[in-house]
Amino acid sequence: MLGGWPPPVLDPAGPFAGPVTMVAWVLFVMGAVVLAVVLIALGVALFGPRKWKRRVGGERLVWIGGLAFPVVVLTGLLIYGLSVTARVSDAPRDGEMRVRITGEMWWWRVAYLDGQGRETVQDANEVHIPVGRPVVIELESADVIHSLWVPRLGGKTDMIPGRRNFMRLQADRPGVYAGQCAEYCGGPHALMGFVVVAHADADFEAWRARQAASAAPSALPGAGVFSASGCGACHTIRGTEANGLAGPDLTHVGSRQTLGAGILPNNQGTMAGWIADSQGIKPGNRMPSYPVLTGRELRDLAAYLDSLK
Amino acid sequence: MTSETGFDVRKYDRFPTEGSRPDGELEQLEAAWCGPRRPGEWITAINNNIIGVYYVGAAMLFFVLAGVLALLMRTQLALPMTGFLPQETYNQIFTMHGTVMMFLFAVPAVEALGVLLLPQMLGARDLPFPRLGAYAFWAYLIGGLAFFCSLFFGLAPDGGWFMYPPLTGMTYSPGINADFWLLGIGFIEISAIAGAIEIIVGVLKTRAPGMTLDKLPVFPWAMLIFACMIIIAFPSVILATLLLELERALGWPFFDPLKGGDPMLWQHLFWFFGHPEVYIIFLPAAGAMSTIIPAMARTRLVGQPLVVMAMLATGFISFGVWAHHMFTTGMPQISINYFSAASMAVSVPAGVQVFAWIATIAAGKMRFSTPGLFAVGGLIIFVMGGLTGVMVAMVPFDWQAHDSYFIVAHLHYVLIGGMVFPMFAAIYYWLPMSSVRPLSERMGKWIFWLMFAGHNIAFMPMHLTGLMGMPRRVYTYLPGRGWDLPNFISTIGAFLFGLAVLLWVIDMIRNFRPFGPREAGNIHDGPGLEWLPSGYYSVRSVPVVKSLYPLWEQKGLAKEVEEGRWFLPGAAGGERQTLVTSPLNAEPQYVLRLPRPSPWHVFGAVFTAGFFLILTIQAYAVAVVSGVLAIYCIMRWCWFLDAPHNRKTTDIGAGIRMPNYVSGPSSHGWWAMVIVLIVGGMVCLLAGFSYVFLWSRRPDLWQASPAMASLMLHLGVLALAGLCAAVAPRMLRRARTGAETLATALLVVSAVGAATAVGLELRAWWSAGLKPDATSQGAAVFALLGWAGAFAGIGVLMGLYILLRRAFGRLSADRPSTVDLIGLFLAYTAGQAAMVLLLIRLFPGAGP
Amino acid sequence: MAVGLGLAACADKGGASRDLAGADAAEGLRLVRTHGCGACHAIPGVAWPRGRTGGSLAGVAARPMIAGRLPNQPAVMAAFVRDAPSLLPDTGMPPMRLSEAEARDIAAYLYTLDDD
Repeated sequence: MLGGWPPPVLDPAGPFAGPVTMVAWVLFVMGAVVLAVVLIALGVALFGPRKWKRRVGGERLVWIGGLAFPVVVLTGLLIYGLSVTARVSDAPRDGEMRVRITGEMWWWRVAYLDGQGRETVQDANEVHIPVGRPVVIELESADVIHSLWVPRLGGKTDMIPGRRNFMRLQADRPGVYAGQCAEYCGGPHALMGFVVVAHADADFEAWRARQAASAAPSALPGAGVFSASGCGACHTIRGTEANGLAGPDLTHVGSRQTLGAGILPNNQGTMAGWIADSQGIKPGNRMPSYPVLTGRELRDLAAYLDSLK
Repeated sequence: MTSETGFDVRKYDRFPTEGSRPDGELEQLEAAWCGPRRPGEWITAINNNIIGVYYVGAAMLFFVLAGVLALLMRTQLALPMTGFLPQETYNQIFTMHGTVMMFLFAVPAVEALGVLLLPQMLGARDLPFPRLGAYAFWAYLIGGLAFFCSLFFGLAPDGGWFMYPPLTGMTYSPGINADFWLLGIGFIEISAIAGAIEIIVGVLKTRAPGMTLDKLPVFPWAMLIFACMIIIAFPSVILATLLLELERALGWPFFDPLKGGDPMLWQHLFWFFGHPEVYIIFLPAAGAMSTIIPAMARTRLVGQPLVVMAMLATGFISFGVWAHHMFTTGMPQISINYFSAASMAVSVPAGVQVFAWIATIAAGKMRFSTPGLFAVGGLIIFVMGGLTGVMVAMVPFDWQAHDSYFIVAHLHYVLIGGMVFPMFAAIYYWLPMSSVRPLSERMGKWIFWLMFAGHNIAFMPMHLTGLMGMPRRVYTYLPGRGWDLPNFISTIGAFLFGLAVLLWVIDMIRNFRPFGPREAGNIHDGPGLEWLPSGYYSVRSVPVVKSLYPLWEQKGLAKEVEEGRWFLPGAAGGERQTLVTSPLNAEPQYVLRLPRPSPWHVFGAVFTAGFFLILTIQAYAVAVVSGVLAIYCIMRWCWFLDAPHNRKTTDIGAGIRMPNYVSGPSSHGWWAMVIVLIVGGMVCLLAGFSYVFLWSRRPDLWQASPAMASLMLHLGVLALAGLCAAVAPRMLRRARTGAETLATALLVVSAVGAATAVGLELRAWWSAGLKPDATSQGAAVFALLGWAGAFAGIGVLMGLYILLRRAFGRLSADRPSTVDLIGLFLAYTAGQAAMVLLLIRLFPGAGP
Repeated sequence: MAVGLGLAACADKGGASRDLAGADAAEGLRLVRTHGCGACHAIPGVAWPRGRTGGSLAGVAARPMIAGRLPNQPAVMAAFVRDAPSLLPDTGMPPMRLSEAEARDIAAYLYTLDDD
């Protein structure tokens, strides 16, 4: 199958995207019909026989085509649009599962909230949801305006500093859904990707339990490289002394789908490449390249991080 | 028909006059209006026939430059993850492409068309403020070029053309790139507003006699609405840029949420300007379409009153749709519904115009010469853009399409179909008016078809790329998402478009010969007054207009006009003159003496541009020097205004005599001052809105206002200042001995009083502990007082100016305009300051 | 498969032996992409990323040595792709999660890269 086909906006995978796709098709049909009407009228006006031209060439056409016709079509569309708007966007209710996603330059901080709104599990650049259930996403920003967009699951909503917005995500089938920052946020905005992973209920609970655990003490040599290189100044690995907050939480980085915010597959090789030359891969991002590590150190570090499942 | 001014319209029947014109009359007219003779005079020239050509040329230059930027971007995006442009460069280029196209091409281009065409269309000799127009042009050209050159130093802004904070704030954009945007836009604000004043006063006050509003052609109607929209919309971007620059330079937290600011304030202010801006660009182009299509189809425009009503409706509704750029920001449902409805409603008047054009084409027989092709092509493209516009007005769809390539496609369809194609139609249609040779028809057809194909090949696939999930403003994209192919096709289309523009440039170089002895003239058989035989003085004599299509329906008009058998056939006393008429029925009111070329406005423009640019590179001392020089040059230029006349009246033909000087509400200067004050008032109103908006976000940060007694004192001082300003003109008119001195003294007292009151108010807040960089309240209060204070400061400069005029004997009771206008300004200044004080003291009450 | 054989045949010119018979170079390219080998290497046929950490692989088929130290033979290449540290303990290239067959596919692709 060709990548990108069918277009994600027209290939909805959940109830917050489906009605919008329906709206899109209605609009496309409307657009095609109106364009055809205009082109036919224009064709008659330009090339039509005199008798036809006379019927088109008067103020009546302006009243009917320019005023009455659009008013009727637009009123219908408006009523339809408003009803879908109301259905798709509904204020969050108590008892719904909540995830807080904070846009940062140029990655996403993800926190799963408990019933009291406290952050329980930390993650980055991907959000895991159970299939068939709506999840309320709280959208915040740590710096500039970002916008979270997962086309197959619904429209986008902005993350605005000093405000908190909401959206809902729901996927009807397990799978991985790509997303991206949609509001220009400077520098490598183009490379600020995101994925939503939808699990069957049981898998989701297992994932959540795994994610809530701290990292087990590791005897791998890479753990030493990690602390000696000062990675802990920016990154947290729960269960170790690394507790930096500037960058993504790495407690379970080995289990993530992607590296560099949705842009690289995640394995030891890409991990090593990212650490050694993150600025070459994603110019301008906040993580410095570490070309000073020896080959063995780099490999050990990658192996250690990869072991954090 | 009742008369508007007391002028007896039966006097129109005396024209065309019989008998031969006196010897030497034409020679005197030509001498008064002679074009540049020395090279330097091409720079000091102010005639609209010269400045208008420069203006259109400069706008098209920026079109080509921004188009080159577009080709660079399309080259980068032709393939995924290419390294053709580094990230920072791409981000600067896309920001500059949008900014230059919107601010340095689109708005100036339609304004330039107005400057070039309006006097001829209206039967005026020139616009009412030719020197202001020339000043605006030079400030725009110098400022625009310098702004563009920031790209070559890597200093161009990179925050996107709408410059959302906090990305554009000091924290995330510490370089001077963003300042270049903010100050660069300053020129455009100045030139746009200066142009708007010209156009409003020009259309309302300098029409040919008999050209009542129902005989006003569509293009001037469009320009009138355009100019009014600029007056209402531009203050919003003026304020927004001021606030962001204050935040960047001084740390006043308008948009910083940590201190009570809100990034959404910028979005509201920017789009309150930004969406009307789209119609500001579109309406004059639509006016051009409504002129060109009937001419090319050789028939009257079907439903002209409907078309004018539609344009007026567009103007009104466009101010109620700004938040449709913000559907994804988490606005309340009720606002979303309203803005969705309004956004759909605004497409109705566009539909009316489109069908009026189609009906006109059907009623006549369309000629497929180049202007006709561009008009029809533009119509088709515009309709497609309008349809996607309706789609994105549907909120759920917009949530998906917003900030994706679908929007890129939509906006280019609207702007290219609604503005660029009509602009090319206009160039091909009207160019024979200014050039010895018309452009090549054969080349024109090639250019049209290449451009039409290129446009669709470039932008049609972008609808799909957007639906495939590609966001806007990305310097590259990952492979494997299916975006490669549509992007590659878009790039091919963009280069075809570029080729068309290149061919057009070649055509211009080969055939465009302006300022010649005799223009190509009315090769399209157009019906408007602009096709009358003309020179730098516009028409030889100003006809009475009896029809919307005078050249078609008033037989023999061209010959009579050229023989000087209508109004104002000469240049009495060797002066440049134009006829001022009344706004509704265009009855002659007085003869306006127009200025002659001078270098002062050019120097003024150079130093104004210098001030802004030098300020940007933070050489503050040099900037201040440049600013002072700019003020000096402008004062120097004003110095010769309001000069004495040798004769009280002029014979405007057939023995009708009109005064050479009028003051008060029927004078052109009074109108211009009122428009300036409306701009000031709009800025102040929006600043008041910002104040309330910021309060609503963080009422807990609001502190109590200073003691009420001080408010009473300050209001008292302002009342005195207002009173002095209001009575000064009356005192002058009493014409007793010493009246000039008394009026001068009153104005000076008023200016000083207003400045004092604002200063005292500032001190009161400062002592009460309010600091502008600490909270949003501080920022908002000091900004409002700063605005009031800036007016008071200008008032003080005016006081100085009037003192000098008094000292040099350039004030006189029988020429009260200078005192009138300064009095008006100062009265407004006092009133505005009083409103500001009341707002910041009484709203929202005495603190939490 | 035919394509793969064709490519493998081409690889012969670059000095590879018959050890990679049956390996699928096209599949190798797909694996190179999905495993993100580009994070460290610039690889012809991979638009992005074009990593700088591990050096360019353009012309790797024609080089005498792998990583400057090992003989450039198909079996060594396949083994190196899969588990470099076992051959060169100091290398920065981590072991990759690949089956032997997958590693042979990748090696087959690399042997198509015979000119710079």
